[in-house]
Amino acid sequence: MNIIKGSARVLGDEVSTDIHCSSKYLPGKDTAFIATVAFDNVAPGFAKSFVKGDVIVAGANFGINSSREQAVHVMHRMGVAAIVAPSFGRQFYRNAINNGMPVVECDIAGIAAGDAIEIDLVAGRIAVPAKNILRTVPPLPPALGALLQAGGLIPFLQKHPDWNIAGARA
Amino acid sequence: MGHTIAEKILGSHAGGKPAKAGEIVVADVDFAMIHDARAGNALKMIEKLGAKSLPHVKRTALVLDHYSPPPNIEAANVHVEMRAFAEKHGSPLYDVGDGICHQVLPEGGHLTCGDLVVGTDTHSTTYGAFNAFGTGVEGTDVSAVMMTGKLWFRVPETIRIDLNGPLQPGVWAKDVTLAMLGRLRAEGANYMALEYAGSGVSAMAIDDRMTLSNHAAELGAKAAILEADEKTFAWLKAHGAATPKPVKADADAVYAQRIVLDTVNLAPQVARQHHIDDVVAVPDVQGQKIQVALIGTCTNGRLDDIRQAAAILKGKKLARGVRMIVTPASRAIYLAAMREGLFEILTAAGASVEAAGCGTCVNITGHYIAGDSQVVISSANRNFKGRLGNPKSEIWIGSAATVAASALTGVITDARTVAGGDWRAAA
Repeated sequence: MNIIKGSARVLGDEVSTDIHCSSKYLPGKDTAFIATVAFDNVAPGFAKSFVKGDVIVAGANFGINSSREQAVHVMHRMGVAAIVAPSFGRQFYRNAINNGMPVVECDIAGIAAGDAIEIDLVAGRIAVPAKNILRTVPPLPPALGALLQAGGLIPFLQKHPDWNIAGARA
Repeated sequence: MGHTIAEKILGSHAGGKPAKAGEIVVADVDFAMIHDARAGNALKMIEKLGAKSLPHVKRTALVLDHYSPPPNIEAANVHVEMRAFAEKHGSPLYDVGDGICHQVLPEGGHLTCGDLVVGTDTHSTTYGAFNAFGTGVEGTDVSAVMMTGKLWFRVPETIRIDLNGPLQPGVWAKDVTLAMLGRLRAEGANYMALEYAGSGVSAMAIDDRMTLSNHAAELGAKAAILEADEKTFAWLKAHGAATPKPVKADADAVYAQRIVLDTVNLAPQVARQHHIDDVVAVPDVQGQKIQVALIGTCTNGRLDDIRQAAAILKGKKLARGVRMIVTPASRAIYLAAMREGLFEILTAAGASVEAAGCGTCVNITGHYIAGDSQVVISSANRNFKGRLGNPKSEIWIGSAATVAASALTGVITDARTVAGGDWRAAA
């Protein structure tokens, strides 16, 4: 998997993707619409100024509680390249992997909006070269890497209906 | 080195040997569930997957519980789609009023000890009460299960919680979880499995054990598994479940953390408005006024909850200015409560009864909304601001006993101080 490079877009702690990045509380609004307003209530103007390839750098428990898969579809539409946070809500993390969105658990101290960030998922390395920030995290388990590489669980199973997955016990 | 229940169940479904926390496994799933709030997405994902056949679809139940009954055309149409899907593929279907997914799956005999069960709902941890590994997933996951019978899991670390001694009359599993939420905080067990054990658990009836496993979702738990005993086996047998394959933790299992809770002396607890982990003992907030009292949800809408409420309200009237709604968790509970005369007691006291479903939790049916600055005391599991449709109202969370005692007096009340507050089913 290639190294992901992008500009950091910052969000706070405990951001619920059900509330801020889904139509759960905006019934009838589709994914395309949500992509134009996502996270605006916690970071005004976030969606409009988001540029394809930006990396979301969020606080603790990103995607906390119940989390709809739609949130990841919205983020793909916005062009989110990856998400870095000290911790994720369990369901959100699972949905991200299942829908081909790179997610990394990492300390985000010192990383600010606009910083050029580099993520090496395989090596488990997060860097902001301009600030001399270099952090190591446990490398992504190969099985999850295989799901991400395929673009998510559905494209993976279309190619590998037998779950032939490197690094996972079956 | 020994293994936790989570490691053993995931391991036995992925080749046989116990798995190790942190490992990724592809495991055989025994049963899956889709409910109506997530069915729209799940059915789309199944279509996207484009599988030639869905060989495991008959082990996936479709449950119409959140929009029960449907409050709008969109929800009613999702129900139409779900019924058609179940009819076409032969999946079990639970229709409007049949009950909440986490109640109807065990009642329908769909799971047993040692099983691996997934559902499109965070409270799928409930199945842990039956010594199964139950966890919440999304539509993509269930599509994968229907096509392949398998799913990937990261084997969770486990927190072991020993409950020391039976709860006092008037104190329930709800109070245990609230105490744990005060201690570990919301999401304090994120990614992890919980194992509840000890004499406090043995003393609990199945209804209360289901609360314990269910409400672990608020702690962020991936699963919350209890060991099985004679009560478990008897309950499963009575509901037509397959032969149990009970799983115990090894004495030298490796835990991320061990907690001992002195349950003998635990007082009733409440979570104050907006935050499920802002927990205080009821005696410390006695006198807080309430106007709306709700009993229901997958957390506390079971028969023992309704029996406890009826024991408190028998021959009494709700306090002036209080309205109360009771929503059984399933049709079976509804019927049992009717036969026992509980609805007559509650209705005479001034409460209303709704069809079984999830409405109490999230006002999804539109029947539970509170007015500005009204205070709700509810036996539900979440109390985010606006959860019941009005951000200007407050939701406090407590056991069915606390809700009924508070409905009687109009202020948050310790059930141990009112007549009937000491009700408990004979063990």
